[in-house]
Amino acid sequence: MPEHLNGHIVSATGLSKRVSTAEGSLDILSGVNLEIKAGERVAIVGVSGSGKSTLLGLLAGLDSPTEGEVSLAGERLDRLDEDGRARVRAGRVGFVFQNFQLLPGLTALENVMLPLELAGAADAEDGARGLLTRVGLGERLTHYPRQLSGGEQQRVAMARAFAVKPAILFADEPTGNLDSATGARIIDLLFDLNREHRTTLVLVTHDESLATRCERHIHLDAGRIVQDR
Amino acid sequence: MRGPRHMRLAWRLLARDWHAGELRLLAAALVIAVGAVTAIGFFSDRLNRAMTWQSADLLGADLRLTGAEPVPADWLAAATEHGLRHVETLDFASVVVHGDKLQLTSVKAAAPGYPLRGTLRTAAVPYAPEADTGDMPAPGTVWAETRVWQALDLSPGARIEIGNAAFTVARVLTYEPGRGGSFFTMAPRVLMHRDDVAATGVVQPGSRVTYSYLFAGSDTDLARYQEWLKTRLGPHHRLFNVRDGGSSIGRALGRAERYLGLTSLLAVLLAGVAIAMGARRYSERHYDTAAMLRCLGATQRELVALFAPQFLLLGLIASTAGCALGWLTQEAVFYLLREVYPLRLPAAGLAPAGFGFFTGLLALTGFALPPLLRLRQVPPLRVIRRELAPLPPSAWLVYGFAAMAILILMWRFTGSLLLTAAVLAGSLAAAAALAAFAGGLLALSRRAHRRVGVAWRFGMNNLWRRARTSIGQILAFGLVLMAMAVIALLRTDLLNTWQTQLPPDVPNHFAFNILPQDVAATQGFFAQHRIPASDLYPMVRGRLTEINGRPVTQAVTKEEDGNEAIRRELNLTWSATLPSDNRVVHGAWWNDAAVANPVSVEEKLAQKLGIGTGDELTFSIGGSERRARVASIRSVQWDSFHPNFYMIFPPGALDDLPATYLTSFHLAPEQKPLLTSLVRSFPAVTVLEMDQVLAQVRTILAQVTAAVELVLLFVLAAGFAVLFAALATSLDERFHEGALLRTFGAGRRQLRAAHFAEFAVLGALAGVLAAIGTELIAWALYTRAFELEYHFKWPVWILAPLAGGLLIGLAGYLGTRRVVSRSPLSVLREL
Repeated sequence: MPEHLNGHIVSATGLSKRVSTAEGSLDILSGVNLEIKAGERVAIVGVSGSGKSTLLGLLAGLDSPTEGEVSLAGERLDRLDEDGRARVRAGRVGFVFQNFQLLPGLTALENVMLPLELAGAADAEDGARGLLTRVGLGERLTHYPRQLSGGEQQRVAMARAFAVKPAILFADEPTGNLDSATGARIIDLLFDLNREHRTTLVLVTHDESLATRCERHIHLDAGRIVQDR
Repeated sequence: MRGPRHMRLAWRLLARDWHAGELRLLAAALVIAVGAVTAIGFFSDRLNRAMTWQSADLLGADLRLTGAEPVPADWLAAATEHGLRHVETLDFASVVVHGDKLQLTSVKAAAPGYPLRGTLRTAAVPYAPEADTGDMPAPGTVWAETRVWQALDLSPGARIEIGNAAFTVARVLTYEPGRGGSFFTMAPRVLMHRDDVAATGVVQPGSRVTYSYLFAGSDTDLARYQEWLKTRLGPHHRLFNVRDGGSSIGRALGRAERYLGLTSLLAVLLAGVAIAMGARRYSERHYDTAAMLRCLGATQRELVALFAPQFLLLGLIASTAGCALGWLTQEAVFYLLREVYPLRLPAAGLAPAGFGFFTGLLALTGFALPPLLRLRQVPPLRVIRRELAPLPPSAWLVYGFAAMAILILMWRFTGSLLLTAAVLAGSLAAAAALAAFAGGLLALSRRAHRRVGVAWRFGMNNLWRRARTSIGQILAFGLVLMAMAVIALLRTDLLNTWQTQLPPDVPNHFAFNILPQDVAATQGFFAQHRIPASDLYPMVRGRLTEINGRPVTQAVTKEEDGNEAIRRELNLTWSATLPSDNRVVHGAWWNDAAVANPVSVEEKLAQKLGIGTGDELTFSIGGSERRARVASIRSVQWDSFHPNFYMIFPPGALDDLPATYLTSFHLAPEQKPLLTSLVRSFPAVTVLEMDQVLAQVRTILAQVTAAVELVLLFVLAAGFAVLFAALATSLDERFHEGALLRTFGAGRRQLRAAHFAEFAVLGALAGVLAAIGTELIAWALYTRAFELEYHFKWPVWILAPLAGGLLIGLAGYLGTRRVVSRSPLSVLREL
């Protein structure tokens, strides 16, 4: 999406998320302001429960804020309903999750084809095949997720994430379920793909060393940004 | 993501889900549902056709029109235009002469093609073995009943005279379709060719001749023709069709249809529950898919557009398979029963298959749509926070859809919207009450659990933790057990009732024209040969002319104008006691009635003519007038094969009139030759053989019996679908739990015992619920629908909980075996 390369692909102003609990209301995020430029690589770091994943969900339009404004690819997500946000995501946003989120009934190839098919791509299979080969799984196309190791599953997830050539990729603890060696390889691959596709990367992690691979770090604590450098 | 591409993706997802085994449960439930419905549909369709055929056999046609004059030619032309076959017969009384002997006979002259349904049966000489024949008497010959042969002392080839013509007696006529009805007035039958009538010169203008027109064709053609005829019929015309009630066969057919309809409803309902469970599981297992698709940018509408065609395709495929299964099942069943059904059965029509498809798609819509629609509500955030599930659909949506589907299906089965609405409202209220009761039972069982072992306690704990699911399952299993119990009860009691209506020694012969002086001797004859016979009733023929001083013809409505009871002479009798198969429904019998010149009137005739107790009736008997006041109205069991009467007078009321006596008796096949000596000893006596008719009634009852037994199988199949759907619904959670527990050190045996305990308790509670439901339903059905005597069904209260506990415990044990056989690691890795 070259039109966003010079502008902000993501921006948030006064972003808050409050939930009701048995003990009363709880602020998970409060007054978050940030802007992410196209092509930027941003790590959102913080301890467990600091609100990292919630912030990622709001920035990606997976959830709506209690207060504040959030824009993605020039669209005001907080003004859109769920379907409207889905349309903004379609073809522009890729995701990589800690628990891979592969569909267990589909093969590796079919999992990668899915976003392409949803976007109506004519050559979904060729595209998916190429990407899987690129992530080193050219021989495992017809394997189901349960037949793949954790590292392999995450590679399939990455191939799926890059399949639609997204403008922005959201990664939520992508190595959280992997051993350190496999995690390191996965991260190398993620950054390689990111470079090749010139994708904006928003990476949520509690791993400081992983965060150092991004040029920008946003530290969250108790739902507030305490550091942005 | 639009249009064909959309469908392609839906199809691929369906295929992938199918390969992954995600759809098997739902498809299986649907196949069983449609299979059960279509099997029942095909089965009852064929059986109904067979029964209608057999009833038609008894009538000789599907439809019979009689009148005192020939019908206009265009009526027959219209019948042909309506696609019906038809044939004409003439009935008239005539004296037949052989040498110096005379016999009054009832002659039937039939055109070629007669009869349209059923076959004539003949024998070479009286009491010789009989055989079916497709022939008719050739011109110049006649076939005559045994009574004619005996009365005229005929031998094969003898020449007899009817009017001006002479005929050769070729065969003994032993059975004639359509011979029934008011047989007391019947003289023995002589059958001749229609073309010979003119030569006899017997039929002249003004002669008393009954013209009968027999019609046969498809149900729809017959219905259209009957509609066409309706406006054209004159007062002397009468229409008979195979569905006319009042006979054992009519009632047996009616009961069988009601019964099969009832069973179909149960099967549909059970299948619906299985589909709902299957769809819910499918939906829940696709939350992640839906969330991921939402993440990737699919809108709610696109999600529906992706999943709905999958369900539609699944519905079409499963319905096709279900129809095939239903068809094969009924074919197999009829093949297995070929000994029971020796006669050729009509092929099954396509209508049940169409209805099967309709049922499949409707059930899928009604029961699967609400869980399916839930998929579009899946929050995309679920990809990060897995515990997020869509809000449950509103109860109105879930139950509204299901109720609508059931309403439509029930309406199709019952044909009455009011009845359907009433039944449905009642069922919903009952379901709510039973759910509350199941909750109560569950709470009660909780109190007992401290006294049981660890495994049982764990199993029972499972029930309470999933209290809502457990209540739902108790209801579903309760329904299955209840269906089984109700059907088993009805099967036993209904069939017993039917069988006792026609005990082996039911009278199969009538003897009438017994002269007063022969009464004692006739009774002596029966006693001597140990022939069980009913009482002898005197019989005087008379015509009802006035009701409360008004001519009967004015008292009746237009459509009752043609009623035989008014037009023709009635058989009047007298009796001091009420016949055993009669019941006074209004007024009082002689002993308690203080009415001068009393008479007792049969209930249905009284209704038709608007006669009540206290009304004055005028009879014309033997040229003189008699007045009598209605003292009682009686219900009469016409199908008891005992002599029965519309009008009964007290003894002495008709003493001055010439009377003959009548009785019915049972003759075993080996006693058949006794008929000859009876007729020889009492030449005036006329014997009417009814054993053929009875044999046919018995065949029909045997078929109904078999139908009822087989239908039970389909309900069971639907019940098992529910059982396995319920098991599968909780399987994921059980896998997870089982893996965790085994990780913590629980043994396989302990887990298995816990699973058995959980399902056994569930089944036993369902059994208790089933017993309550069965008792209520049986009471309603026995007393309201089937007019049977009701008594407390105590065995159900023991058997239902026991069978429920064992059956469901075992099924649960078997169904959850995989939970303990897979390695905990492989289970936990998938989560």
